[in-house]
Amino acid sequence: MADSDLIIRAAGGDPTAFQALVERHRSMVYRVAYQFAGNHFDAEDIAQEVFIKVYRSLDKFRQDAQLTSWLYRIAMNACIDHRRRKSPAASTPMGEEAEQRLLNTPEEAPGPEECAYAGELGDVLEAEIARLPQGQRIVFVMRHHQGLKLCEIAEALGLAEGTVKRQLHAAIHRLRGALTAANVTAGGRA
Amino acid sequence: MTICHLQATGTIELYFYGELDARARLDVEAHLTSCADCRQALDDMRTIQAALATRPDISAPAGGDWTGFMTRLDAAIRDESESLAPEGVRFFSPRYRGRYVVYAAMAALITLVSISVAYIVESRRQLKESALAGNVSPAPKPPEPVAAAPAQEWSPDAGLVSLSEQHFERSKLVVYGLANKDAHRSSAQDWAYERQLASTLLSDTRLYRLAAEERGLKSVARVMGDLELVLLQTSMSSNPEPATLQQIQRLIYKRDLVSKMDVVVSGF
Repeated sequence: MADSDLIIRAAGGDPTAFQALVERHRSMVYRVAYQFAGNHFDAEDIAQEVFIKVYRSLDKFRQDAQLTSWLYRIAMNACIDHRRRKSPAASTPMGEEAEQRLLNTPEEAPGPEECAYAGELGDVLEAEIARLPQGQRIVFVMRHHQGLKLCEIAEALGLAEGTVKRQLHAAIHRLRGALTAANVTAGGRA
Repeated sequence: MTICHLQATGTIELYFYGELDARARLDVEAHLTSCADCRQALDDMRTIQAALATRPDISAPAGGDWTGFMTRLDAAIRDESESLAPEGVRFFSPRYRGRYVVYAAMAALITLVSISVAYIVESRRQLKESALAGNVSPAPKPPEPVAAAPAQEWSPDAGLVSLSEQHFERSKLVVYGLANKDAHRSSAQDWAYERQLASTLLSDTRLYRLAAEERGLKSVARVMGDLELVLLQTSMSSNPEPATLQQIQRLIYKRDLVSKMDVVVSGF
């Protein structure tokens, strides 16, 4: 059965249709949540939140829209909301300036130097991805891990394609910096 | 040190991710032959891609077990459903309507089956009693009057007519359904349901026809006979072809069964 049919049936109160919808898309949602959160505990919370939001919004889904884009958008917003709740800034009202600050403030996580001693380049990069500002991390995860095109990311996040391009560029710039630092620390490339 | 414009504009990343059109790709490839910085940038991106590719792809909770996740989600959705709207509003909301319609249909079906069983048991008991009363006892004993109901003179004929009336009422649903069904749009499942209903009513119809013939209630017996024929044809027709249904419909119209079921018992 097509996603759109499942949505219609779920919106009409059919619990099995909603369950089928969840079972069909939970891996994708969980993958995004894990790549963003970096641990099962938060990933599960985020994925739960995504499907609760989907349930609340079943009536609002436009049948001509792509379900995966809709899910990505909800997933990314859930990731941001989750991080916001965990942040000390969560207790204060979120203005535009604060939103920008949050999106561009690196996360508190071990830096590349610390991780480099642990040896694995993958560890270094993953740690750096976790430290990326949220906007950059979301775009990088969607482009690199999910393989979405920039126009698809822009559509899913409701952003201009130019903004997405700049966020991706900034993310890769940071990751290349981490790569250089790791190689220097490990005595590789000078 | 100045950064190459392909890197400054992010074009090198678009090239890496295959987001450039053919002409732009050729331009970048031509540029790469003479720009060591851009070649290094590409190498870095390939290294990043290779390093991240070795990381496990986590797309399920620990151990790949979704049970806990689904249980939590079910509970959350249940809470969500209950808190969405007050009871009265919730009942009529589209999200709940389907569920309540199913419950209502199940309740109606159970009630219908219970009533049918009670009718059949009671009618058989009364027919048996009346038969015994007619053949053995010269003064049949009327059934116990229902409390608060006006006392009525009871006779075996009146009892049979009353039961026949009730049986016609039950059978009307099936006959109406058959008469109004679209012969070209009837599904096999739909037809199986009609057959099942017809089979259920058939033996009682035959019993009432025999009782009516025995009592000399010719008009009741005749309509029961027509009904029996329609039910028999329906229950015997395993093939839901349009021709089969059309034949049964012709029989219903030819015998004017619907009208007769309405009027036959009113004459008594």
